[in-house]
Amino acid sequence: MIPQVYFIALVFGIHIVAVNLGMALATIVPLLKRKADLTGNERLDGIARGIFRIYAATYAIAGVMGTAFTVFLLSFYPEFIGVAGNITLLPFGIAILSILIHFLAIVLYYYGWDSFPRWAHLSSGILLAITAYTIPLGFRLVFAFLNTPSGLKIDGKPYIDALGALANPTFAPLYLKSVFGAITFGSLFISALLAYRMVKERGEESSQLYSITLKVAVVGTFIMLILGPWYSMSLISTPMKFNNIFRSFGWGLGGVETVDMSWLFLIKMILIVIQIYAILRLIFGSVDFKLSALATISAALTILTGEYLNMFSQYPYFLANLPIVADKIPEPWRTILGRSLSLENVSPLASDPTLFLVTALGIAILLIAIGYFIYETLFKGE
Amino acid sequence: MDLIGQWLSYPAPLDRILSIVGIELHWLILQYVLGLPLFIILSLLLYARSKDEKWHEMAKTMAKALGIIFAVGAASGTVSEFGLVLIWPNLLEAAGRYIFFPLYAEIFAFLIEITFIYFLVFGWRKIGVRGKLILVFLALVGAWLSGALIMSVNSYMVAPTGIQASYDPMTGWKYDKGYPKLLLVVPKEIVSVLDVNKLLSLGMEVLGERSEGVAVLLPSKIVSKLASESWSNVRVGDSVLSLVIKEEALGSVKDLLVKDVVDTILVNTVKSVGYTMVTFLSPVYAGSILHALGAAMTVTGFTIVGGYSLLLLRSKSDKRKVYYANGLRLGILLSLIFIAVQGLLFGHILGVEIASYNPEKLAAMEGTSNSIFSFSRSLGIEGIMSFIAYGSFEAKLPDYDSIPRDYCTLAGAPFDCRPPLMIHYLYYVKTGLSILLGLYALISSILIMRGNLSPILLKINVLTPIVAQIISFLGWAVREIGRKPWSIYGIMTVDVAHTANPGDPLSYGLIALILISVALALILAVWKLLYAPSVREV
Repeated sequence: MIPQVYFIALVFGIHIVAVNLGMALATIVPLLKRKADLTGNERLDGIARGIFRIYAATYAIAGVMGTAFTVFLLSFYPEFIGVAGNITLLPFGIAILSILIHFLAIVLYYYGWDSFPRWAHLSSGILLAITAYTIPLGFRLVFAFLNTPSGLKIDGKPYIDALGALANPTFAPLYLKSVFGAITFGSLFISALLAYRMVKERGEESSQLYSITLKVAVVGTFIMLILGPWYSMSLISTPMKFNNIFRSFGWGLGGVETVDMSWLFLIKMILIVIQIYAILRLIFGSVDFKLSALATISAALTILTGEYLNMFSQYPYFLANLPIVADKIPEPWRTILGRSLSLENVSPLASDPTLFLVTALGIAILLIAIGYFIYETLFKGE
Repeated sequence: MDLIGQWLSYPAPLDRILSIVGIELHWLILQYVLGLPLFIILSLLLYARSKDEKWHEMAKTMAKALGIIFAVGAASGTVSEFGLVLIWPNLLEAAGRYIFFPLYAEIFAFLIEITFIYFLVFGWRKIGVRGKLILVFLALVGAWLSGALIMSVNSYMVAPTGIQASYDPMTGWKYDKGYPKLLLVVPKEIVSVLDVNKLLSLGMEVLGERSEGVAVLLPSKIVSKLASESWSNVRVGDSVLSLVIKEEALGSVKDLLVKDVVDTILVNTVKSVGYTMVTFLSPVYAGSILHALGAAMTVTGFTIVGGYSLLLLRSKSDKRKVYYANGLRLGILLSLIFIAVQGLLFGHILGVEIASYNPEKLAAMEGTSNSIFSFSRSLGIEGIMSFIAYGSFEAKLPDYDSIPRDYCTLAGAPFDCRPPLMIHYLYYVKTGLSILLGLYALISSILIMRGNLSPILLKINVLTPIVAQIISFLGWAVREIGRKPWSIYGIMTVDVAHTANPGDPLSYGLIALILISVALALILAVWKLLYAPSVREV
């Protein structure tokens, strides 16, 4: 694989893990706050506020890495951005609108914490939670489209038919897998935080919440065990991708295979086993920070490896089914899409080795900055 | 003349309006990210020198404001970025292909900003004055570097490197000679298949051979036609290129996409100039970056004036009043200095550059058309304006009515190629407001320094940030609206830059509404976090 892909993968990986965590936190915080309001529990209110602070940092990390991801794409693959920009107004439009409303909700929820009337604060919390799910809705539509171009029409110019895009066989499992993966990871993250907190001070609220988040993680993991195979089966519509992941296990379909990614699938499976093992031990045992941390880290890595598996298994194509659909696309779009959807078609000006050196240095600084954020929010917060 | 109608008549009016809303929201916020670090440095230096705690408190308030504003700026930047990709995908593709470096490097400038701004905000209590000075200086470097990089791209869009303007202030328009023209370095293998004599007859000039190829000046008419054909997926055989390719070579190249030929030439040209430098060599870059920074400083200064004036009006504590008055003094003095430098120096530098490289825009700015009421003509200052622009009383301002309506492309344009005349009024309102604000800053600073803090003065002061923001917005409006119908002057028009699948008015209206809500949420946040606690202290 070419080096540009690794740069993109690195920033995308951090972005996607932060996004997944953010989805869960944006759901859990309004729920906790609501419960604290209804019961008048100030300690629970404090916990909710602390988690919201972590959410703000998560959002910042996801934002920075998301921006870096987009700029890398623009610089390395400008023709892909040109094509994508022309046809993806609907899915990206949903995502942008949601990002805007989500940001508005963050501001309102944060500054209205003690000053808004309850109904107004709750409303902004509901908005916060809903938009946390509509942002990935738009992006996952694009990802599903990049598996197989359902809804693509070429009538003088290419465009996406909305209903056709929604009928993409990989969209529903991909989106639902993202949602439940995020909830599972986020629940485990909070349970680990509470376990850490309970090492110092054992409070009733922390204990209750710890127990609830663990239960949510169990349910989430169970649902993921159904959604994972569903998504894998939906990839039958994307034979090259399916082959790249499963052919080494003897489950290949007819058609091409470009890169063997079965090893990454195996790693993902091992991580899932570790996650399940840790969760089961936690459920039937006592509070254990190290075990909670193991469950959380394995959940984060499961998300990361899952995303990488999804991304690398369609190398060298942005659009996994391009080899299959290419002959149905009229010229000159066949030529244009053929090269703009190739991951190996890097912009010649952005192939300078010095640029890679500067990028590596910049990314190192980027990671140090993330380390700083994590230190500030997790270890120096209330 | 229907000025609004003329402006709306260019392609993609709704998309242009939505872009104005999105980018203006981003710029409204960014000015403080550019301006506040400098004001924090000055406050900290004053504190270090005097050990007077009020300067430290002032710096802390501004650092807090910087933290909030930066967060909103980052979010509005993400939205603007996506908006540009979806509304102007072909422009973004071209930018990503040929002038990507500043956009790429800006990620790291953004990183410097975010790191040091939040180091400063989170670590305020734990860091000494020297540490704070270092952090805020680094935050300033990040913010200004980010501004410098993005402004270089915008400057390239205003006047690309290698552009040769179509006007000579002594002799007049040069459209008959094929101007404006763009410098291109054509690879020798492409030159070998071209009928150079035909190209020369169309206005191309050969500058000479370079190691990368042959340097030529090609009329913008041809360049923009090729850009249009590139993004319409035309093949060489159906392109205007077929008219200038040697007959014996046409057979072997006729099935190539025009985009591939143009791409080879543009990549070669950028390589020969240097991909890291190409945008910074735009002839309007120096004036643009200075003017943008000057606007940011001026707006920030007047916002500080407005903020402390409001607090003085509401304050009942004498002790707090002394503190607020000090803040007001610092703000008004710096605002006076910045608006003077901005207007007399930075504005002039940019004006001269625009006169030399965007003569069509200058003609519209000065309203040198008989179809509208012109301020410069009515006031009899056309001679003075041409002297300011060109340094000679012999020079003449470019005449708007003599600009060919179809100068921007070959074979006739489906729209008016001349810039919208409404910018004449935008420009003169902007200039008039700037002069009034500058004079007001002079009078206000004299009165404040003499200890006059009358309620009327303070109430007018409260309005100054709004006026400064309006002036700043008008400045951008003149720059961006005045470039129409070009997206990149001399290269790409808006119809080419525009998406093939635009949205509907309802969804655009909704997005605009949400953008405005974000701006209101920012104001609410600043009010709650900065203003309300200060009032409670009263």
